[in-house]
Amino acid sequence: MKQKFKYCMLLFLFLIYQGAMAQNKTVTGTVTDESGSPLPGVNVVEKGTSNGTSTDFDGNYSISVAENATLVFSSLGYSTSELSVAGRSTANISLAEDASQLDEVVVTALGIKRETKALGYSVTQVDGEEIATVKTVNAINSLQGKIAGVNITQNSTGAAGSSRVIIRGNSTLTGNNQPLYVVDGIPIGNDNNGSASLWGGSDGGDGISSIAPDNIESISVLKGGAASALYGSRGANGVILITTKGGTKKEGFGIEYSTTVNFDAINTDLQDFQTTYGQGTQGRVPATQEEAINLGFSAWGPRFDGSSVIQWDGVERPYSYTGNNLKRFYRTGTTFINTVAFSTADDKSNLRFSITDLSNSDIVPNSSLNRKTFSLNGGTVLGEKLTLQVNSQYIVEDVINRPRLSDSPGNANFTVGLLPGNIDVNTLNPGADEDGNERQYNGNVFSTNPYFAAFNFRNEDTKNRIIASASLRYDILDWLYVLGRVGTDHQTLRTTRITPTGTLFNPLGDMNELNRRFTQVDSDIILGVDKGITDKFAVSGLVGANKNSIVREDLNLGGNQFIVPGLFDIANLRNQNRNRSFNKREIGSIYGSLELSYNNYAYLTFTGRNDWFSTLSFPGKTTPNNDFYSSINGSLILSDMLAMPTFVDFLKVRGGYSQVAGGAQEAYQLALTYEIFGQGHLGQPLGRVSGGTVPNANLVPFNKSEFEIGFDTRLFNNRLSLDFAYYANETTNDIVNVTTSVASGFGAASANLGKLENKGVELLISGTPIRTQDFNWTTTLNATFNESEITATNADNSDIALDEPRTRNVRIQQIVGQPFGVIFGTSYVRDNNGNIVYDIDGDGVPIARQGERKILGEGVPPWNFGWTNSFRYKNFNLNFLIDAKFGGQIFSGTNSIAYGAGLHKKTLEGREGGLSVTGVDGSTFDADAGTGTSFTTTVSPENLQTYWGRVNDIAEEFVEDADYIKFRQFSLGYTLPSQILDKTFLQSVTINLIGQNLFYLSRSIDNIDPESTYNAGNSQGLEYFGVPSTRSYGLSVNVQF
Amino acid sequence: MKKSIYILLFVFALTACDEGFEETNINPQRPVQVSVNTKLTAAQLFVSSERYDNWRAGLIYQSTMMQHIATTAGYWDGDKYTWNRGYASSLMDRYYGNAIKSLEDMLVQIDEEGLPAEMKAITRILRVFAFSRLTDLYGDVPYSEAGKAVLEDILTPRYDPQSEIYADMLNELQESAADLGTGTSAFGDADIIYNGDQGKWKRLANSLMLRLGLRLIKVDPAAAQSWATTAIAGGVMESNDDIFYVPHTAGPEGVNQNGNGEVFLVDGNPRLSKTFVDILQAGNDPRLPILGARRSDGSTDPADLIGFPNGLDANMLLDMTGEENMDNYAEPNRSVITGLDAPMIFQTYAEVQFMLAEANVRWGLGGDAETSYNNGVTAAMEMLSLYGDGGVIDPADIATYLTNNPYDAGNALEQINTQYWIATFLNEYETFSNWRRTGIPNLVPVNYPGNVTNGTIPRRMSYSESEQVNNKANYDEAISRQGPDELTTRVWWDVQ
Repeated sequence: MKQKFKYCMLLFLFLIYQGAMAQNKTVTGTVTDESGSPLPGVNVVEKGTSNGTSTDFDGNYSISVAENATLVFSSLGYSTSELSVAGRSTANISLAEDASQLDEVVVTALGIKRETKALGYSVTQVDGEEIATVKTVNAINSLQGKIAGVNITQNSTGAAGSSRVIIRGNSTLTGNNQPLYVVDGIPIGNDNNGSASLWGGSDGGDGISSIAPDNIESISVLKGGAASALYGSRGANGVILITTKGGTKKEGFGIEYSTTVNFDAINTDLQDFQTTYGQGTQGRVPATQEEAINLGFSAWGPRFDGSSVIQWDGVERPYSYTGNNLKRFYRTGTTFINTVAFSTADDKSNLRFSITDLSNSDIVPNSSLNRKTFSLNGGTVLGEKLTLQVNSQYIVEDVINRPRLSDSPGNANFTVGLLPGNIDVNTLNPGADEDGNERQYNGNVFSTNPYFAAFNFRNEDTKNRIIASASLRYDILDWLYVLGRVGTDHQTLRTTRITPTGTLFNPLGDMNELNRRFTQVDSDIILGVDKGITDKFAVSGLVGANKNSIVREDLNLGGNQFIVPGLFDIANLRNQNRNRSFNKREIGSIYGSLELSYNNYAYLTFTGRNDWFSTLSFPGKTTPNNDFYSSINGSLILSDMLAMPTFVDFLKVRGGYSQVAGGAQEAYQLALTYEIFGQGHLGQPLGRVSGGTVPNANLVPFNKSEFEIGFDTRLFNNRLSLDFAYYANETTNDIVNVTTSVASGFGAASANLGKLENKGVELLISGTPIRTQDFNWTTTLNATFNESEITATNADNSDIALDEPRTRNVRIQQIVGQPFGVIFGTSYVRDNNGNIVYDIDGDGVPIARQGERKILGEGVPPWNFGWTNSFRYKNFNLNFLIDAKFGGQIFSGTNSIAYGAGLHKKTLEGREGGLSVTGVDGSTFDADAGTGTSFTTTVSPENLQTYWGRVNDIAEEFVEDADYIKFRQFSLGYTLPSQILDKTFLQSVTINLIGQNLFYLSRSIDNIDPESTYNAGNSQGLEYFGVPSTRSYGLSVNVQF
Repeated sequence: MKKSIYILLFVFALTACDEGFEETNINPQRPVQVSVNTKLTAAQLFVSSERYDNWRAGLIYQSTMMQHIATTAGYWDGDKYTWNRGYASSLMDRYYGNAIKSLEDMLVQIDEEGLPAEMKAITRILRVFAFSRLTDLYGDVPYSEAGKAVLEDILTPRYDPQSEIYADMLNELQESAADLGTGTSAFGDADIIYNGDQGKWKRLANSLMLRLGLRLIKVDPAAAQSWATTAIAGGVMESNDDIFYVPHTAGPEGVNQNGNGEVFLVDGNPRLSKTFVDILQAGNDPRLPILGARRSDGSTDPADLIGFPNGLDANMLLDMTGEENMDNYAEPNRSVITGLDAPMIFQTYAEVQFMLAEANVRWGLGGDAETSYNNGVTAAMEMLSLYGDGGVIDPADIATYLTNNPYDAGNALEQINTQYWIATFLNEYETFSNWRRTGIPNLVPVNYPGNVTNGTIPRRMSYSESEQVNNKANYDEAISRQGPDELTTRVWWDVQ
């Protein structure tokens, strides 16, 4: 059916093409710049028609026009010129550069397109092409390293996982710090549908990942508060505006087809465990099958000698290194992305329809994702003054077996990563015996056989999502319009999770079925003016109102103990439970904006907005539920105002100050409530206090203010450009959940006193070192430094505890006077000279004394860099991106456990001949004076296990710099020359070889990927047996008909 | 067209921007209060608690330290006196957020609603029991300010000295007993422990008073005698009908199930300790085939039931016996005592009889010690019927046991408290406390490499690590008063 349809289209196109041939005259020519170099990509249009073409890489064009037509040549950065054909068949032209034209138009708040030069704040726009060339399953990951001030963290949660995007630092201590995503003017939800934490779990993916890269026309990142002032509270963390593609004006209608295939191979260079000592304990091998099971993760045996040694399954195998288990267990992941798009446009309307199919098989066996996106965008002029625009996307996403992460139950990565070198993971396959029971590899039932985890656990979800918006604009006068817009993001999620019968840690199994409904509706009405008052003075502005409502409802059916083994249905559960949760919140707003400009070189913008929050409203509440806030920003184009040296093409200075307020992020936080829970006991209902957070009836909106200055300049005939920004923002009255004592009965208390500051600089340098007819090289470096400091939490300035990893000896903590999210964990006890204090046990083994918890690192790296290079040689394009982060640390749970398991290379020390340890004898240590008697002893090889086993409790040992420099992206493209395509029905064909995450140029931490946190939440800097990181290679083809 | 847009704009402007927001933010699923009766049922289940702390503090630590249970599994830290902070603090981590929070909330509600005095008395008794578990296990704990984050805005409660906690708990029991009459309380069947029987609650208050009073024997013998006198005079438990236990069901949810039962469902590692089995074997105790069964085949023939030595790992087992696994040893009998629907027992008539016997031996209080001893042994055997038909012991067997193991006045305290130790199997909190109080039975400690107690049996559990950060000033104060937050530090009443 699909094929047939495609042929029909081709036939149709051919007919149109024939029609176009009926034009009367063909004009060819070359377009050059003033120095005579050919200019590629110049638009050549027959004046007064939609007939047009563009120049190829040699500046040549060819167009059929009427005999007496006039051709209009236009290109960004050059003055537009016209040329009358007047019977000529060759028309060459040279275009003059025009610096004032260099100002691109960018999409700003509320979808308003503005010239960048008018903006008093920093906006970065990325073209869809950049995102579509090297596609990722989650499109937002393509932005990593490309935008100054934007810190994107990809996690080790599998291909279907979510990403963390932070703009200009975190702005709330415990709430959501990710930006607002706005698709075609409509805010969309970006909630995580589950993430891994202390006790395990899977990453349920985020909202932004559903947007197909091929549909993206452009992404605008509004970084500062000034940029996002008009989005109100939801824009407090910055706004990412995504404009999807509409129909473009061209002959007839266009078909575009693009296909990408990508292979993900596990990066085996990362993990470097010891391969010389195998399973055993105290320097000897297991003697029995049971001991082999109990020593499942104990590589404390003797040096490999090839002798025959019993293993967990009772089989004797050679005691020698069997090779890399990661390579054996994980497969090559594949991603296929196919998009076909149809578009058409004329003077009055435009239409684009596209279908994208994305199929991913993750490297974890039996894990996969399929996402289909149907997109229909259309706009039309209904009457003389009335314009309608409708955008819609329907997305269906099926994910099978999102990998389990963090804690060991069901986490295949855990077991695979910890097998001693003489155990071949293939011997654990299959994970279940013939009765469906898990084959026990390990004494601890909570360490699941990886094949059982991959093939017997079930975890499936289906998401149906509609993102749709309609806007109607009526031009009342030529300077006055009214615009109404309504949009929705509606999602339904269906999730099934099954722990099968026969699971060792849960022999009777359990299951859960979740139905989630999420609906967000936004409606706006805007009245706008745009008027020149005098020749030099112009004013534009708008007033508007917005209503936002979000409803989230979960229906859960679950239970445990399957009656008939292997039949995984709710009705087959001995114990059943069900619950429903409902959450509704609304924001009402009025807003306005006024822009003044003088002589096209001085601009001033004021905005103001008042938000009312349902989450801060309650009957009888006396504190405000709303707040008014405003912003001012301006820019001066100095290069237009003053005489500049000749090498300065453009110079702008800008500055602004903004405020934004926000409400509580969740509903129902103000009052204490009770609940009837469970299903009663012996016929009696069960009642209790609901929730574990102390409510606060007096919550008021939090505030964030930001100050920003910057400049933007272009030099040496636009060969070099520089954009610099300095910002400082502060959040006050942050609504936080401050951790309380366990003995208070509650885990946390809502407070309205949090304070947090960020200061930073953003620098973007872009240059074109080489620009010749055939060869072009542009290079762009962006650098960001963001420094954060927490200045208050609550009245007592108590710490706020965020997540902890399964080792439980370290936490991410918010501490006054420290940066956001420090790593806080157990340390060595040291004397005044820094020597480690040990307790000497009965066998004379020094046991490092576990000291108090200290700040061990910073979970969020303050330095971010990205360096992009593009080379063009004739029809070839080569692009690569190197990105780097510095200054942050990470706690590695994998390394910690690998110490105890004797797998870490550090544990090789002393295996032959013993380990000499020098330190302070704890029995003589005077903690107050900080002194004690020093000792030196040799730990015999059979006691090393005790020695290192204690070290693995001390978090300090496992916090290391997370610095890296990564070769992030690579693409080599070839565009078929237009001379070849002219003779076909094809308009353009581009082929790209692509690569992602190919290698590290530098990395500080051993064994793990420095970007391998296990969730995208506020607790960054914790690693614990995530999905190993991958390298990707692929090929993409884009064809336009 | 133009007109309709103006109208639209007008309507929009007229609608207040926060219209209906107050109602929007009222949680449609949560009432502003529920009946105190529903809270009592829940609180009783919370006192019985869940798998989490029954596994960690109850079985992994205390049952093995007390040599009821033994295992090679490395994470059963109590077997080898190794330290897992999270396991040690598990009772504290769970009890305050569930049991204590609910009970404090109930007391306020009972006052506010002016409910009958007996309801408050029952709630206070339950509260004392919950706190006694906490303070006996940890020593100084948050008491007077605990569980009051909402009620009194106390987010960082102070740690009260155990001496003060004990004084107040005993006083609470005395006052509560005085407020209880006869007949059924207004809790009725919401009280799943005694179905509202005020007489039973009163006897419980006095029985707990006897227990807590005796706890003071080392630190303040005069107070111990005084409280024991008061308790006995007030009337203690009279039969197995008075046993203080929470009945559980096999489902439908975790809250309904016996937390120990949930552990045994998933953890096949525990075995009966050799110390425990040997003592039962020596007395030819008819309880042995009810409490134990051979792991490999479930046999309950006493000849097949071998206890597992404490402090061994798999390798030491192999070296010592040549055995490759623990299959040959007795485990808690899965067909009788490990069910999800097993009762969770807190205090028994048998224990009370043993305490009476002790009080008689020490001070001449109560009835004749021998009678109390015989009553206690008989009750301890008969009460196993709470576990169902499999737990029923033939009265003839009980008589035979008493004949073969008669009261020995010359060795009374040793004998009485050894019986107490047997009778509190699976109520390991009480086992641990009574052992610390009496040192009976004389348990030989193990000395496993890497233990943190220098080869001695721990004397308490350590506090939640989070308290060092979230309640630092109060935590530090408690440590400076009580001693280091270690397993070897003794609580106030456990003086040497």
